[in-house]
Amino acid sequence: MLAVLHFSYERFEVLAVFASTMLAQLGSFFILKESVEALLQQPEIHTGRLLVGGVFACSVHLVVTFGVKNRAMNHIVAASSSSWLQEHMADMSESLCSVVPGLRKLLLPRINPFVLIALTGGVSLFVTYVLIDTKLYYSADTWAAVGIAIMMFGTMAPMSIYTAKILLQTTPSHILGQLDKVLREASTLDGVLEFRQEHFWTLSFGTLAGSVQVRVRRDADEQLVLAHVYSRLSNLVSLLTIQIFKDDWTRSTGYSMMSSAPYIPTATSHVQDRANSPPLPPFIPYQGQGVQSPMTSDVDINRILSSQAPFSQTGRINLSPSNQYSYIGGAS
Amino acid sequence: MSDAYNGNILPGRAIYRSSDLSLYFGLLIVSKFLRSVGLFIAYDLLKLVPVVQFLFFVKLGTAVPLLFLQKPFGSGRRLNAAQWFRVGRHALFGSILGLLWLFGLTLCGPLRTILLYEHSDVVVIAGATALFVSNSGGPAKLRGAVFFIIAVIALLLFDHDEKLDLMSDHEANEDIHRTVISHVFYHLVNLVGWSDHKGGVVLMFIALCLQVGFNTASKKLSVEIGGAKRLHSLSTLVSSALLLPWAGFIYLTRETDIQSTTYLIFPFVLVILFVFILDYYIEAVSINHLNQSKTALYGSIIMFISAVILSTTWNHPYVAHITTMHKLKEIITEDHVLSGGVVFSVIVFMFATRLLVSQSKSTRGSFIGYSPAGVPLYTFAGDALHRTSQSVLIVMKNGLRQILEESDSRRIFYFLCINLGFTFVELIYGVWTNSLGLISDGFHMLFDCSALVMGLYASIMARWKPTRIFSFGYDRVEVLSGFINGLFLVVIAIFVFSEAVGRLFEPPEISTERLLIVSVVGLLVNLIGIFAFSGSHGHSHGGHGHSHGAKPARDQCSSHGGHGHSHGGQNHGHSHGGHSHGGHSHGSHSHGGHGHSHGGHVEEPAHHNTNMEGVFLHVLADTLGSVGVIISTLLIENFGWNIADPLCSLFIATMILLSVAPLLKATSVILLLRTPNHLETDLSLALEKIIHIEGVIGYRDPHFWSHTSTKVMGMLHIQVTPDTPEQKIVTQVTSILKELGIQNIMVQIEKELYYYHLSGLNSSFDQMLDYTQNFQKLQYVEPSNRIKAI
Repeated sequence: MLAVLHFSYERFEVLAVFASTMLAQLGSFFILKESVEALLQQPEIHTGRLLVGGVFACSVHLVVTFGVKNRAMNHIVAASSSSWLQEHMADMSESLCSVVPGLRKLLLPRINPFVLIALTGGVSLFVTYVLIDTKLYYSADTWAAVGIAIMMFGTMAPMSIYTAKILLQTTPSHILGQLDKVLREASTLDGVLEFRQEHFWTLSFGTLAGSVQVRVRRDADEQLVLAHVYSRLSNLVSLLTIQIFKDDWTRSTGYSMMSSAPYIPTATSHVQDRANSPPLPPFIPYQGQGVQSPMTSDVDINRILSSQAPFSQTGRINLSPSNQYSYIGGAS
Repeated sequence: MSDAYNGNILPGRAIYRSSDLSLYFGLLIVSKFLRSVGLFIAYDLLKLVPVVQFLFFVKLGTAVPLLFLQKPFGSGRRLNAAQWFRVGRHALFGSILGLLWLFGLTLCGPLRTILLYEHSDVVVIAGATALFVSNSGGPAKLRGAVFFIIAVIALLLFDHDEKLDLMSDHEANEDIHRTVISHVFYHLVNLVGWSDHKGGVVLMFIALCLQVGFNTASKKLSVEIGGAKRLHSLSTLVSSALLLPWAGFIYLTRETDIQSTTYLIFPFVLVILFVFILDYYIEAVSINHLNQSKTALYGSIIMFISAVILSTTWNHPYVAHITTMHKLKEIITEDHVLSGGVVFSVIVFMFATRLLVSQSKSTRGSFIGYSPAGVPLYTFAGDALHRTSQSVLIVMKNGLRQILEESDSRRIFYFLCINLGFTFVELIYGVWTNSLGLISDGFHMLFDCSALVMGLYASIMARWKPTRIFSFGYDRVEVLSGFINGLFLVVIAIFVFSEAVGRLFEPPEISTERLLIVSVVGLLVNLIGIFAFSGSHGHSHGGHGHSHGAKPARDQCSSHGGHGHSHGGQNHGHSHGGHSHGGHSHGSHSHGGHGHSHGGHVEEPAHHNTNMEGVFLHVLADTLGSVGVIISTLLIENFGWNIADPLCSLFIATMILLSVAPLLKATSVILLLRTPNHLETDLSLALEKIIHIEGVIGYRDPHFWSHTSTKVMGMLHIQVTPDTPEQKIVTQVTSILKELGIQNIMVQIEKELYYYHLSGLNSSFDQMLDYTQNFQKLQYVEPSNRIKAI
């Protein structure tokens, strides 16, 4: 039962991607700091098997990138905006492809950022090796570290921004247009007055969740509106909750909403409240709008309310929700 | 030749066929080659003639033919006094720049001069805009600018002009024709400690930038005067007049080692012709007929190539035989050489020039949407939006006001100021006393400040108004910042740990000089931070020390009190009361778990600011670090236990990891949209209650999650009988859930009718089947009620 209360565990993927990209960035930040210190006090570097290690690491990196099918990573690579490294590479490969068109398929839209960082890292290691081996130019090592750290930043930043936006429960900008269109369509439905508290967010990669409050006219068919809005939005948003809101659904609650204060009225106080209420202007219900309503008018509800005394069952019932949906006077 | 139509802005350009252009190309090549020859001759001449005199002769020699060619006095309007003044000013600046350039030429030789100075204005301006104006020209230009700078740096650092270095030693006492400029220059160069030709490179680069600025500034004047050529001729004449007194003074005061001036006349004429007249006219013509960027590109490249060729051949006996006219022979024996750095920078310069003059394709596309697969689509139409930039001062003022508005950000800000102040004092003192330990510790402090900066930014951002994208508001930013801070600490702890393990096996000798004072001061600073932040995040203070197991409920209550108290003291209370959270949830919690025991849960309700906790933990880690350093320093100094240092580091790293774990867990739970732990039992009870409301048949998809550490949200679908009024159920359910402190509850009330409607609207069939089956499973039979209602 309780497990149902959570959203799906797919969101772990998002958090994992975010954490790993963030860790890479923070690590490179740390390396930047270390290399500043190393620049102040340049230690001697023994190249040793640097070249072998570099080639090995680079190839392992490439094998992992190409060999492992990680759904989350693939999505991130495709969907996040390109890093500056990719942008420069795309620009360069565009001019290269105008000379050698055969490479177009390999290079052109944009290269996988992980491949790119692996290759550039490998190249800078090689350059470092050559410089240290031939010229004993030790600070090449530090500079290579700085360069790789900066490139790592550039590569990881777009991905962590993309995942951070998911984690922050933001509306993905690419569905804003479609959402607007759907909501505009839905607002022309009979009885719909407005949409409020529209929250749509990415739950995990590719799944959207959302909730929206629809304010409807007093005589509107709630279930019909609900079904219409739901069927329209459900194409976009898979986990959807729509709350239909009628203001002044009974006159008395409407009144108590107006005079609401953060107190918890018991059933008795509620009755008192109604008794003390000044006479409201005569209420004329809408009739015959062509919508078949199960409840023929608001008067029925009043009757049901008074006859059944429904709130005794649950004990304390707050009839005036402490202004979550603050009643706006003059609406409808 | 589609290329030819790109950027075709010159009128009447289309009437030239491409074959005619080869003539201009040829002219350009010849003139540029001759210009570099002229520069090589000029360099040789400058060894004999002082700079000022040389410039005077050259200007005078240029002015005479220009007067005949342009006839600035014969044609066009007469200039008034103000215009004459401006021409004079132009001439003055022009001759100062000329002097700089020639002086640079004497210092770093013709090849490097050509490399550094012979760039068209177009190239330099494109590079500068790419570097300093954001979002201009795309990545290609930026790359070009970076390459340009790399080339200059390569010339500065990797160009080992060994021969010149050797020469400069015995050159020092020789004192060849020094002027005022050279005195100032040598002084500066000696101050920095570079060799002469490096100073020359810097000088040349400055001269280039100034020249470009000068050319751009003089464009307006040239329009007023009536053409760039007229201005040029007038300005040359005036500057020769301006230089006359100085040149005369030098001529009179200094005895020269030139026996006869007749030998110098011919090279002078060549220099004037090649460098100043031929090139000027041919470049103007080719800019007209080719386009400007092409002229810039080919001109520069030809210059570079011919300079390289000339520098390899110039000192060859055969060439020397031709060029030196026998008398100058002795002066060109020793010279600047071609080094690997120069060749490298030649190539990079060419590449940079090519990139910088390339047509900007405006590759920065604007985002238009996503493909069905979720891949972003861009349009490459160029940026339609121009953002207006605000003044930096106003931005800073607004930022400061925002920071000081609330207690959290104010506290972080003040502590950041203290920390930064300490850091800079440390850095400056470290530089002053030349202590590397202090400097690196200062950098370490700066590194730590970054976490504070992030916390500050997050706490400001959290107060921003909700937008379309951030529909819930920016509250969660604080959670994310807490998470990142936690990760940051983990990274630090791991690095410290690994380093400590490395040192454990071979403890290095540590010099403890000044270490104690620095760490004590650091400890004091951090203690201020701890006192500042410990108030702000209330009860969690006790949580991360040693035992954070199950806490008695009483402890919770008291800490709640403390929480409320600190809120009351600060103006934070405003915002707190704002969201209808106030008495409700607090009231229910201070019951000490009304009915169901709170004490059983390991985690207490996270009623604190995760961002502040992250910052606090960071400061705490720093404090631990300083304490560790103090202890290990004392141990090393008194007992000589070098192993104390890695042991302390290990201990600190473990402490950091342990203390950060709760924060990481709390924030990741929030980020994962998990149902808050402390609410789970309450929630299941509440759901029980909901199902017992009259008319409710069942519920599905209950989702409750904590939006921030204090806000809990939820959504729920409820099935009801057909005759139940929906709004009533909504109100009841909302109030039941509100009691638990859940805000923003969305309740979708569904009746059987809804499923009929949905299936009629045929959203997706399978889904519908699911729902209806689900609904039927609830075995709802109560037809009588429905009839009564209708």
